[in-house]
Amino acid sequence: MQPIYRRILYGFILLAGLVWIFASVDKTGASTAGRIPAPQKGFLAPDFALKTPTGQTYTLSQLKGKAVLVNIWATWCPPCRAEMPTIQKFYQQYQSQGLVVLGVNATAQDNPLDIVPFVTQYGLTFPILLDETNDLGSKYNLRSLPSSFFVNRDGTIADVVIGGPMSDALLQTDIETILKSPAN
Amino acid sequence: MLDLFRNIFAPPRDLILLVAAAWIGMSLTEKRAARSHAEKSLVSNLIFYGVLAYLLGGRIFYALEHLPAFTQSPLSLISPNTSAFDSWGALAAALIAGFVYGQRKGMLFWSTLDALTPFFALLAIGIGFSHLASGAAFGIETTVPWGINLWGAIRQPTQIYEIIASLVTFGVIWFRKANSKPGSDFLLFAALTSASRLVIEGFRGDSTLVLGGIRSAQVIAWLILAISLVALELLKPRVIPAEVVEKVEPVMETKRKEVKRNAPSVPTGATTTSKKTPSSKTKSVTAKRKSSKD
Repeated sequence: MQPIYRRILYGFILLAGLVWIFASVDKTGASTAGRIPAPQKGFLAPDFALKTPTGQTYTLSQLKGKAVLVNIWATWCPPCRAEMPTIQKFYQQYQSQGLVVLGVNATAQDNPLDIVPFVTQYGLTFPILLDETNDLGSKYNLRSLPSSFFVNRDGTIADVVIGGPMSDALLQTDIETILKSPAN
Repeated sequence: MLDLFRNIFAPPRDLILLVAAAWIGMSLTEKRAARSHAEKSLVSNLIFYGVLAYLLGGRIFYALEHLPAFTQSPLSLISPNTSAFDSWGALAAALIAGFVYGQRKGMLFWSTLDALTPFFALLAIGIGFSHLASGAAFGIETTVPWGINLWGAIRQPTQIYEIIASLVTFGVIWFRKANSKPGSDFLLFAALTSASRLVIEGFRGDSTLVLGGIRSAQVIAWLILAISLVALELLKPRVIPAEVVEKVEPVMETKRKEVKRNAPSVPTGATTTSKKTPSSKTKSVTAKRKSSKD
C-alpha cells in the first residue's frame, strides 16, 4: 500500500475510534461501579435475606452503614474449617468498630444436621445464616467454597476472596479496609 | 456448554487457563525467536525471570502496602491467596526484571519485543478465557440473540468478543511475513489489541466512567492505538517517489554499463553469486537501437 493511502487509512481508523468513544458514551451511568448489583469488586453487593437456625432473619441491605464480611462455607469443606478460627478472632477484635460477619452456610449442598455441632465446635459467635434454596449462591455466582465478600459501609464490594483458607494478613487487611470505608 | 466451562474453570481455577496460555505462548515464542533475530534461550530466560518477578513483585508490593498486617503474621507472605496481590506492582517488577536482564545480556530492544509478541498474544487469549470463566469484564444488558446469561441478566458476551479479537490478533501476528522492520510485530500487536479494546469496551457493563460517561479504558486504548500507528509508520522503509526514480534511473543505468565494461571476464566453468538481467528499460533501448540499425 502506498504510504499516503496507508496514512489516510490510519487517520480514518483513529477518527472512527473517536466517533465510537462518543457514540458508546454511557449516558445513563448504568455501568458506574457501585450501582449494579453484582458479586464483583467495586459493585453493589446483591441483596439477600436469610434466616439463622433459630429463625432470625438477616437482610444485607438493612446492614448498610456497617462493614460486612459475608463468608460462605460448608461443614465438609476443609479450607472453610481452617479459616473459621481466624474469622472468629478478627470478629471479636473488630466487632466494636462496626464489623458484622455473616457466616452463610451453603445448606443446599451441606448436611443441616452438621451445622450446629460445627458452630459449637469452633465457638463461633457471629450470625450463621442458612442458604437452603441456593438463593444467595445463585446471586453471588457461588462456584467454590469458601467464598468471602468484603462489603463496604456503602454496600459496595471491596474485595472478593474465592477459595481459602484466607491468610491472617489478607483477612485483617480487608477487614480494616471495609471498616475505614465511608458510609455514603 | 458455557455453564459447563464456567463451572470447570470457576475462580480460582481460571488461573489454569492463564498458566496454559503462558506456557503455549512461551513455546511459540521459542519457535519464533530466530525470526526476530533474538536468541531462543535468552528470550525463554527473559520470560521466566519476568514471570517470576511478576509473581514475587505482586506479593511483595501488596505486603509493603499492608505492612502492619504482614508484620503480625509474616507467614501470610507465602499464603496461596491470589487476592493478596498488587497487579501494578507485579507489572512494574516484571518490567524492571525484564529490562535489567535484557540490558545485561545485550538484547536488542525491538527485536526482543517482536520475539515476545506471540507470548503476549497468547496471554491475551488466556485472559479472555479467564474472564469468560470468572464472569469478569462483563457486558451491558442486551436483547441480541447471542447474549449470555450473566449476573442475573442477558448481557453482551464481551468476554467472547475478547477471545475472538485476541485469536484474530494472534493469527495476524503469527501468519504475517517475516520481512518487516524490527518492532513492527510488537507494534502491530499493540495496535490491534488496543483497537479491539476500544471497540469491545463500548459493550462493557463494568467500565469506569469519566467526564459525562466516557469510558476511561477507551481513551487509553485510543491513545495506545495512535502511538502504535505513528510508530508503525515511522518504522516503515521510506518509499522513493516516482519522479526521483525517473531522474536516478538513467544515471544508475550508465553506472551499471560502466561496471559491466570494466569487470574482468568470468572464466569458463566459474560460477557467479548473482546474475543480473537487463532491466526492461535497457531491453527497450536495445530493441530501439536494433530497429534503427535495420
